[in-house]
This record gives sequence, structure tokens and C-alpha cells, in this order.
Amino acid sequence: MITKKDVELAGKLAKMSVSTEEADIYEGQLRALFGWVKDLAAVNTDEVKLTNVTLAAHTRKDQAITDLEAAAKLRAMFAQEMDGQAKVKKVL
Amino acid sequence: MTISEITQAILNGTQTAEEITRYYLAQIAQKNPQINAFVEVFEADALAQAKAIDAKKARGEKLGVLAGVPVGIKDNILYKGHKATCCSKMLANYTAAYNATVVEKLLAADAVIIGRTNMDEFAMGSSNQTSVCGVVHNPVDTTRVPGGSSGGSAAAVAAGMVPAALGTDTGGSVRQPAGFCGIVGIKPGYGRISRYGVIAFASSADQVGVLAGNVADAATVMEVISGKDTHDSTSIESPVPHYTQEFTADLKGVKVGMPKGFLDGLNPTIKAQVEKAAQQLKAQGAELVEVDVPLAKYSAPCYYIITSAEASSNLGRYDGIRYGYAAPNAQGLADYYEKSRAPFGLEVKKRIIIGTYALTSERYEECFLKAMKVRELIRDDFKKAFSKVDVILTPTSPTTAFKIGQKDDNPLSLYLADLYTCQGNIGGLAGISVPFGKDENDLPIGVQFYGPILQEEKILNAAYHLEKAK
Repeated sequence: MITKKDVELAGKLAKMSVSTEEADIYEGQLRALFGWVKDLAAVNTDEVKLTNVTLAAHTRKDQAITDLEAAAKLRAMFAQEMDGQAKVKKVL
Repeated sequence: MTISEITQAILNGTQTAEEITRYYLAQIAQKNPQINAFVEVFEADALAQAKAIDAKKARGEKLGVLAGVPVGIKDNILYKGHKATCCSKMLANYTAAYNATVVEKLLAADAVIIGRTNMDEFAMGSSNQTSVCGVVHNPVDTTRVPGGSSGGSAAAVAAGMVPAALGTDTGGSVRQPAGFCGIVGIKPGYGRISRYGVIAFASSADQVGVLAGNVADAATVMEVISGKDTHDSTSIESPVPHYTQEFTADLKGVKVGMPKGFLDGLNPTIKAQVEKAAQQLKAQGAELVEVDVPLAKYSAPCYYIITSAEASSNLGRYDGIRYGYAAPNAQGLADYYEKSRAPFGLEVKKRIIIGTYALTSERYEECFLKAMKVRELIRDDFKKAFSKVDVILTPTSPTTAFKIGQKDDNPLSLYLADLYTCQGNIGGLAGISVPFGKDENDLPIGVQFYGPILQEEKILNAAYHLEKAK
């Protein structure tokens, strides 16, 4: 059973403030939605393996950097490199 | 006017691209105040494009297949130098720094991009009521919703403000509004059209789609914007057919799947129209075959868990640092994030909360992982069905357009509006809605064809024949 506390916790995890009024609205709606989701338990998924890509039509291939000049230009834009990583300014 | 009428008029010299553009700008000026389909009209740019097309013709240069055709784009598709806000306060001041691939392709085909269209905030909704730019009114009956989330694009086409518009479809957002407004809406199979430059909602389901007044127009635009794009690794390398040349004389040899149980409990008027559509297809030579997709009934809960989980991740970027509103006067990092994410509307916040909750360690297995596994089984069901048939016929929506505000109190009933369309996104299928008949309130009814991935020509052909029969 989803409670208002669950809603507030999920909001916190998502870095959003959830007002009391919003939590009241969401609690009932989420309870109804997740009640519906419980129907999925009726489906036997014991042997199901997830595929990495959505469809078999997608193929994987190695992406090689071909435009070395552009790569060098990009790297030159950073003030400093350290251990193969670009060092950037602290934002906050 | 249809797309072919416009391009022929320009090629023959009976009308200029500028005249066509001015005609549609006048239509927008006249109708948009009541319909609210466009949130911005690019009048100066559109006229400049039109004049450039006329100049190109005057120089004797070859024109693109959409020469002088005004097209609206949904407000989540990037057009360089123009705002793209997802109809959200969060992106109120966001200006696109580059063109989406679909925009590049439209421009390369000499289309005229005339404006950006209204939508549910971040494409989350089925009625266009979550937009911060206001509700869109269905041109068929302005007291009713146009459907969503591409409600602005659908209403713009239905009202004759543009001959075609682009939308996006994550759970039915092109097909459902097309059905509600009495026009054609196609969502291709996953990977057929690049999503580079399209603001993400749920990446395993999002697809760009086309809304148009008839099937041939939808096919023409599809042909222009489809194809592999190196900027989008999910786009598929496969030749794009000349869809309009794939229309056949009849439907002999075409097997149309009728999914078992799909019409049970459906509104009797809509059910009768789907059955009538099946008989029309049969009369044109198609063979009706019963197919079984037993787990498709679980598509909607799977859809809401998976897409909300993906949205909670995709919309994490609106934190005031990477994208979106940046809150002034925050007290520390946590406060900065919370204040910067405050502009999200109620529906968007709710989906992020649903997704975040489903991804918590306590709920991950029973919710997210379970939904992902059921999705695999649903996809297998459709794969088996398509080994027996060419296309599958279903209703587009369980209802026709409902009154504005009617389902506000019960979001689950709104979510059920996607019942027949979200199956296509869960399965990665190609889907098209074509208008077929009206209900007792004279509101359009849409019927839908599903087809396997990379076989959009099959659903376009079936829809073309049904349109002719109508």
C-alpha cells in the first residue's frame, strides 16, 4: 500500500519538493496505478531474459574516432587534462 | 489542399510557395485563437523560406518533394534559433541550438516550417490539458479535447491550418489525437525515424510520427523523414521505400489479423465500426485471420511503469545546471535542485514520482523489472502474430473525443485512453490511425493498423484502402 510518506520519499529522491496538497493528490492516484500494476504478477516471467536493445534489428558496432582533428580541437578547449580526463571548472 | 495538390500547383506555376504560405498563415490567424493549436507561428521565417523556394524554381533548380508545403512541428522538436519548450515552464526560455534531424530533412525537401504546435507538457498526457500554453480545442467540436499529447499538431491539420504536422508518439500521442480529430496519424516502428533533436520523454518508446489529412500525404512525409541517422544509434540502417508507390490495386493476398478478445467490452459504436472496417478490407480482397496476443492486455500497466521510470531518468537533466529553469537565491545544493525543478507541472511531477518509486530498491523487482519482462513476452506475442498476418486491425481508442475537463478527477480513466495505442510502443510496432465513420455525436472514430517494424508500407497500404472504401 502506497502511503503519503512513500510519495514524499520518491519526491525527495527525485530532487523535487512535494507539497502536502500534492502528496494528498498523488497518494490516491499512485495507489490506484500501482494496484493496477499488481496485475502483472499474474504473468509468469520466470524464464524471461531481458534483451539489451529494444529490437533485434539493431546491430552493434564499434564506434571509432575518425575525425582526429575535431577530437584534438575539442581537447584543446579544456584548460587542463589530468590522468586522461578533462578538468573543468567547479559550477557550484 | 493536399500535399500533392500544393507541390503540383507550385511546379506548374499556378501558385507560388509564397502564396501557399500566406494562405496557411491566414488560416492560422483566423482559426488559432479558437483552437489554440499553435503556440508560436514563424511567420517571417516561413515567408523567407517560401520566397527562397520560389527563387529556386525561378533559377530552374530541382525542387524537393515537399516544395512549399507548410508543416507544423510539435513543441518538443528542435528548430535552430527557435524556442522549443515542451509547453512547460521548465523550458520557457529554451532556444534550440541545432536542428533535429527530422527538421533538417523537412528543410532539405523544401518544406516550409510554419510554427510550433501545442502539446501536453513534456508529452505526458492524452488530452492536451497539461500544457502550460492552455488547452487545445478539437476543431470537430471545440468543447472537446483533441487528444494528446500531439493535440496541437492534430488540431492544426484537422482545422486546415497546415496540410501536415509532426508529432511524437510514446504511448499513442500521434495516433490517438489523429483518431479524435478525424485525420491520419502514423507512428513508425522503433528506429525508423531519427530522434536526434527531439526532447526525450521515454527513450525506449519515443518515436516521431506524422499527422496529415490523408494516407498519401502521411506516406509522403514519412518517406522524407525516415532513415538511418548517425546521430541516433537507435535508428536502423534499412532502405526507405517509396511508400506512395507501394499502394496496391487491391488487398488480394493481404492477411489482416483480428486479435482475439480486443473488442470485448468496447463501446458498441466503435466496435461496430471496427467490424465494418474489417468487412471493407475483406471486400477488397483481404483475408481476415484471428490472431492471439493474450498478453497485450498488460501493455498499459507496463507502459506506465517503464515510461515513467525512463522519464524520471531523462528529466533528471532539468536541474538548473544542465538544462531548464535556474532558481535564484537558493540556500545550498539540495535547495537549489528543489527550487529549480519546481516549474514542472502536476502530471510531470507525478510521472517522475511514479518512475522514481518504481526504481527504488524495494520496488525495482516487482515493478520495473516485472514490467520489462512482461514487455518481452508481449513483444514475443506480436512477433508470433505477425508470422501469420501482414497487419493487425484494432480500434485506435476505446472512446471518441471527450469533453474538456471530463476526466480530470480520474487519471486512470485518462491512462486507459492509451489502451490500444501503447501496445505499439511496448512492442516497437508500426501503427497508423485512419478515420473510419462517426459516433452518435458525429465525432470521428479512428481505426488502427499495426505492422511489424520496418514494414510501414503494409499499414500505409491497408489504411489507404480503408480510406478509399470510406
